[in-house]
Order: sequence, then C-alpha cells, then structure tokens
Amino acid sequence: MEEEDEAARALLPDGPGVLPAFCDPSRLAHRLLVLALMCFLGFGSYFCYDNPAALQIQIQRDMQVNTTKFMLLYAWYSWPNVVLCFFGGFLIDRVFGIRWGTIIFSCFVCIGQVVFALGGIFNAFWLMEFGRFIFGTGGESLAVAQNTYAVSWFKGKELNLVFGLQLSMARIGSTVNMNLMGWLYSKVEASLGSAGHTTLGVTLMIGGVTCILSLICALALAYLDRRAERILHKEQGKTGEVIKLTDVKDFSLPLWLIFVICVGYYVAVFPFIGLGKVFFMEKFKFSSQAASAINSVVYVISAPMAPVFGFLVDKTGKNIIWVLCAVATTLVSHMMLAFTLWNPWIAMCLMGVSYSLLACALWPMVAYVVPEHQLGTAYGFMQSIQNLGLAIVSVIAGVILDTRGYLFLEVFFIACVSVSLLSAVLLCLVNRARGGNLNYSAKQREEIKLSHTE
Amino acid sequence: MCGCGEPRWAWGRCAPSPMLLLSLLLSAAPFGLLGEETRQVSLEVIPGWLGSPQNLLHIRAVGTNSTLHYVWSSLGPPAVLLVATNTPHSSLVVNWSCLLSPEPDEGLMVLPKDSIQFSSALVFTRLFEFDSTNVSDVAAKFPGKPYPPYPLAEFSWNNITDSLDPATLSATFRGHPMHDPTNAFANGSLAFRLDQLLWDALPSGFMQWRPVAFSQKQRGRESALPCQVSPLHPTLEYPLPQSPIVRAFFGSQTNFCAFNLTFGASTGPGYWDHYYLSWSMLLGVGSPPVDTLSALVLGIMAVALGAPGLMLLGGGLILLLRHRRYSEYQPIN
Repeated sequence: MEEEDEAARALLPDGPGVLPAFCDPSRLAHRLLVLALMCFLGFGSYFCYDNPAALQIQIQRDMQVNTTKFMLLYAWYSWPNVVLCFFGGFLIDRVFGIRWGTIIFSCFVCIGQVVFALGGIFNAFWLMEFGRFIFGTGGESLAVAQNTYAVSWFKGKELNLVFGLQLSMARIGSTVNMNLMGWLYSKVEASLGSAGHTTLGVTLMIGGVTCILSLICALALAYLDRRAERILHKEQGKTGEVIKLTDVKDFSLPLWLIFVICVGYYVAVFPFIGLGKVFFMEKFKFSSQAASAINSVVYVISAPMAPVFGFLVDKTGKNIIWVLCAVATTLVSHMMLAFTLWNPWIAMCLMGVSYSLLACALWPMVAYVVPEHQLGTAYGFMQSIQNLGLAIVSVIAGVILDTRGYLFLEVFFIACVSVSLLSAVLLCLVNRARGGNLNYSAKQREEIKLSHTE
Repeated sequence: MCGCGEPRWAWGRCAPSPMLLLSLLLSAAPFGLLGEETRQVSLEVIPGWLGSPQNLLHIRAVGTNSTLHYVWSSLGPPAVLLVATNTPHSSLVVNWSCLLSPEPDEGLMVLPKDSIQFSSALVFTRLFEFDSTNVSDVAAKFPGKPYPPYPLAEFSWNNITDSLDPATLSATFRGHPMHDPTNAFANGSLAFRLDQLLWDALPSGFMQWRPVAFSQKQRGRESALPCQVSPLHPTLEYPLPQSPIVRAFFGSQTNFCAFNLTFGASTGPGYWDHYYLSWSMLLGVGSPPVDTLSALVLGIMAVALGAPGLMLLGGGLILLLRHRRYSEYQPIN
C-alpha cells in the first residue's frame, strides 16, 4: 500500500514529494474534510424537509389553505419516493455513477425548494406542491448517495461512526429549521412591511440557501472523489444494491411484520411533528418559539442518542425487546399528549428517546430475516411502503384535524402506534414459536457466527 | 361563583369602515334545568301591557318537587332571571304597571317567596367594537381603537311570539339599535337564541361557556375566534344601565359584579371576515355539565390498548402450553 502511495505521488504533476495531510486522500485529515462535506451534503435536504411544519400558521394563513391541503406538502414529498426507493441504487450504480448522481439529486433538491418558494411568491399553491414533489425526488435518493459515499470512503474503518454522524447532522438540520424559520419569517415580514404570500416565498427562498450549500458540497465531493480515484486507484463507490421485485414473494412473515411495525410507527411520528407546532400552541398555550422548540425535541434527542442506542443494541442484541419498548413508550407518549395536560416536554422527550431506539433496533432486524442477496430489495421495499404510508396518512391527518380536532387526531395516532405494537407482539410470538433468531443477544450471535466459520 | 353578572362584550376588527353589515348572532344560550328524571317544560310569552310588545318570556320547568323559572326579557338591557324553588306549584306574578314605572320594585315576583332556593340574574349591558387594524401585538392590553359602544338598553327588539317554537322549546330575541346615527347596524342584528337542555343538579347556579366564538355559521376550526373573559369586578365605580326585571325581583340594593367578554384577537379569524359572530353559553342551576370523551374515542382506545395486551396474553399462553406439551415428549435415546 505504501509503495502504491509513493508511486502515485510520483505521478503527480508537481513531481515527487509528500502531499500535505489535507490533500492526501489516504490520510485521516483529508478524510475528515470529506466527512465534513458528506455531513453537510444532507443538511440542506433535512433542513428544508420540515419547512412546512415550522411555518404552518404562516402557510395556512398566507396561502389560505386548510390543514388537509397543507399536509399535501408532505404527501407530495413522499409520493415519488414510493417508486424511487427501488431505483435509487440502480440509478447510482448503473446510470449516473455516484458523483454525477449526487450532483443531480442535489440539483433536484435545490430546484424543488426554489419552485416551492416561487409558489409562495406567485401565490400558487399548486406550484408549491409541485416544488415539494421535485424536492422529494431528490431528497431521499440523496440520502442513498450520501450512504454510498460513506461506505466508499470509510468501509472497514469508522463506518458506523460516520453513519451516526451523518444522521446527527441531518437531525441538527431539522432542529435548526424548526427554531429558525419562524424567526426568519418575522424578520422578513418586518423588512417587507407586511405578512402575505410574498413574505412566505422570500422566507422559503432564504431557507433554500442551505440547499445551495449542499449542492456546493456535492460538487466538492465529486471533485475530491475523482481525485482520490486517480491517486489511490480507488473504485467509484457503488451501492451494490440488487433489486429484484420478484423476490417480494419470498418475504417471510417476520419480515412483513417488521414492515407493519415500521409503517405503523413512522406515520404516528412524522405527521405529528408536521402538525405539532400549532397543537402545542393551542392545547398547551405555548408561544410560537416555545412550540417550535418542543416540536424539535424529537430531532434534538435523536442526534446524540442514535449512536448511543446503536452501541447499546449492538452490545445487548435482543432487538425485539427494544422494539417493543420503543413502540410502547411512544404509545404512552401519545396518550399523555392526548388525554392529559401534563407538561408536554416529558411526552416529547419520551418520544424522542423511543424514536431513536426504534431506528437502531428495527432496521438491522431486516438483515437477520432476509438472505443477503435479497437485502437490497427488502430495504427498498421497506422504504417504499414507509413513504406510501406517510403520503397517505399525512393527508388523513389533515382531514381529521379539519373535521374533528386535535383529540381525535391524537387518538388516530394512538391507533397507528397500536397497530405497530400489535405487530411487534405478534413478531415476538412468531419468532418464539419458530425458534427464530431475532431476539438473540449479541453473545449468541457471536457464537453462531463462530460455529458457522468452523 | 358570583351569583349575578353584567357582561359587556367587545371584539376587535380590522376593517376601518364604520359602515357595518352587522349580522351578529349571540346564539344558543341553552339553559340547564334542575334535574330529577323528568321535568315539564313550558314556554310562555307574558302578554305586554296596553298592546305594546314588551317582550317577557317565561320558561317554567316543573319537576316532582321543584320548579325552575327562567325569565328572559328585552325590557331595558336584555336580561335573564333564574329562580329555583322547592315546590312544583310556584308561579311568576307580573305587575305590568309597577314593572313599567320608574320604581319597578316588586313588579315581578315568584310566589310563594319562601320556596325560593336560589335566584340570580344576568344582564347584557353594552356591545363594544374595536378597530384593531394597526395592532400587531396580539398580547396588547387594548384590542384596538374603540368605536362608540352600543348600549343594549336602547335596542328595539322583535316580537318574540313570532320566533317561539314550542316543539323544539326555543325562542329568539332579535334586536337593533333604536337610534343609529352612523348607520352602523344597517343590515345587521344582535340575536339571542334560547334552547333547552336537561341534566341532574343540586341547587346552585352556574354560567358556562367554551372560550371560543365562531365567525361562520358552520362552526369549524378555521372560523374559531378566541374568547377571553376579564376578571369579575364590583360595579361601584360607574353607573350601569339597570334592567327593570332585575330591579323588580331583587329590589334596589343589590350587589352586582361585572365582567367583559372579548371575542377575537387582532390576527386570525374575526368578525370582519363574514360580519358574523356566534357564541354560546350555558346558564343553569346545579353542577355544570362536564365534557366526557365520545363513545368512538373510548371504543378506539379500548381496542388500541386491549388488542396488543390480549395478543400478548393469548399468544404467551399458547406458547407456554405448546412448550409444556412438547417437553412431555420423551425421545427414544
């Protein structure tokens, strides 16, 4: 490896000599630079994803829409991803390559946010919905590209840490959005003189600057990746995903139950956060800033806790027990918010903790019940129906809120989490009955791995 | 709770024009009735004196050993008198000549006097309107620049006999100012709609309302206005328009306390959207009704919590039994 490095350095135009640490793709300093770029790659997308939630009152007032139409902004983000989840890997591996793929998806994210903002400026809600659709086309696929870059640069070394950091940055982006956009709107309103759709459009356009930053990161990453390939003879990263839709018929019952747990859980969290700010303002009489802050608690908690819980689940195993705990805790959290006036910070902190725990315990379970050659299809399918569920439930949540109010909306979310809990219980029982391996502790898995290699 | 009150209302508005198409409905003031199982409810309009339509509506709810009397009147400022007695034979006695005189004491009585367990009155004295076009701070003390108040004592009211509906036991008082120099009430009216409701109670009075008013006939979330109430304060600082029936029943030395109800804020839906405002309150005797969860909500919660629990118990039991059964199996070697 060292001889190769020296030979590569000898080929550089400035002649033989040692590259400074920042410029040497094999050195840690350079990889840290690349890590920073990778983290900011996803920042803009996650920042702008929850713009509607942070500006719910302003959007509903300035665009004159009820909650049902408002939630379409989320639904339209999810719809393209029902299909694209299957094609993200294919597009990156076969069509665009990782570098161009990332740039193209970043462009979609930028263009989508700009069109979203223009919808506000021109007072055309359909244009806002179209902008969210374009944004959605780029957003989720960009996450796949980000993960592919991570594997390409950090496999075998610090990959889990890198995944954790990328997720944390994404969640920081969401948190900053929740707490910043309301304030930004009031500043724009003060400078433009009045509230209205133009003010909204300008605010969203300013928010779109984060997407431009992400695009610059994508361009920089593409350049650095190409340079590293030249210097280190590294191959272009691939997702390695093989999607075969016919594999769906081979999915086992535990896998389908995992899908139901996933859908039932996430549709009770993301649409709730989407509508949460006004809920906290109306029921608990929070001010706008306090409501934004509490609405972002789920993201704030998951930023540091995701790596911690990842470590915990890795060390203890017993994934199903963790999933059961997480889903039950979220159920309790929603019940507290629905039926009591207890301080909602408690319920939201519980929700944040259980959200982080579930993510760390649920997604690895797929790898335990699916053979490796079907893994890509299984994950793609899971993402796809998750997005399908979000697209449908977002609108249902809006309709329920318009017709029945917040109590019924919370009861609806409780019902969704209950479906998830029922599936988790069923999964536990089926796993027990069939002698499955989903609830093995980490030690048992190690033993099995060792006995297989013998 | 203070046994009587004289609420005045106010709401903020944005349109600076003084020409209003006021269509204001203070609707559906249902009243609670002292409940034993059944009560006979009757509405009667007490005929005016000398043919003039002085609207006096007497609602009588007779139980097995108590009677509730509600007396609504648009004589002077709109007022309601609430009297609960412990006999089914109490009656309202009106002396019109006394009632319409400058000293209406004893012009209106519920007899026998010693059967009266509880009595109270509510008078609506004034309607304020505020122009809140330049008020951006929602938490501002004043909702905006006030227009001259509308004194409800100087409104002329419809003939209530026309709006009486004995089948649904409801009635509507509708009025507009007698003198309207700015033509502010051009096409509008202020209306009180009375419906009746029943539940169990013990003798003490209450006035209950949800802190919300609506700016559209279909009450929905988009048209909901916040409704704030000021603290109760005694009314010794300034004279208030007197209601003859209150004076008639209670006499001249009475303790009043007053509060303001404010509908709307400077932002959000308001009266100016559709020039319509609707607010409900409940006036009754006994303990106020408590909101309970609907049957649908309870049903969903029962299933949501019960199904996973039952599944866990049932499945666990089945697995346990299966395990027990297989553990009895003795292998050959």
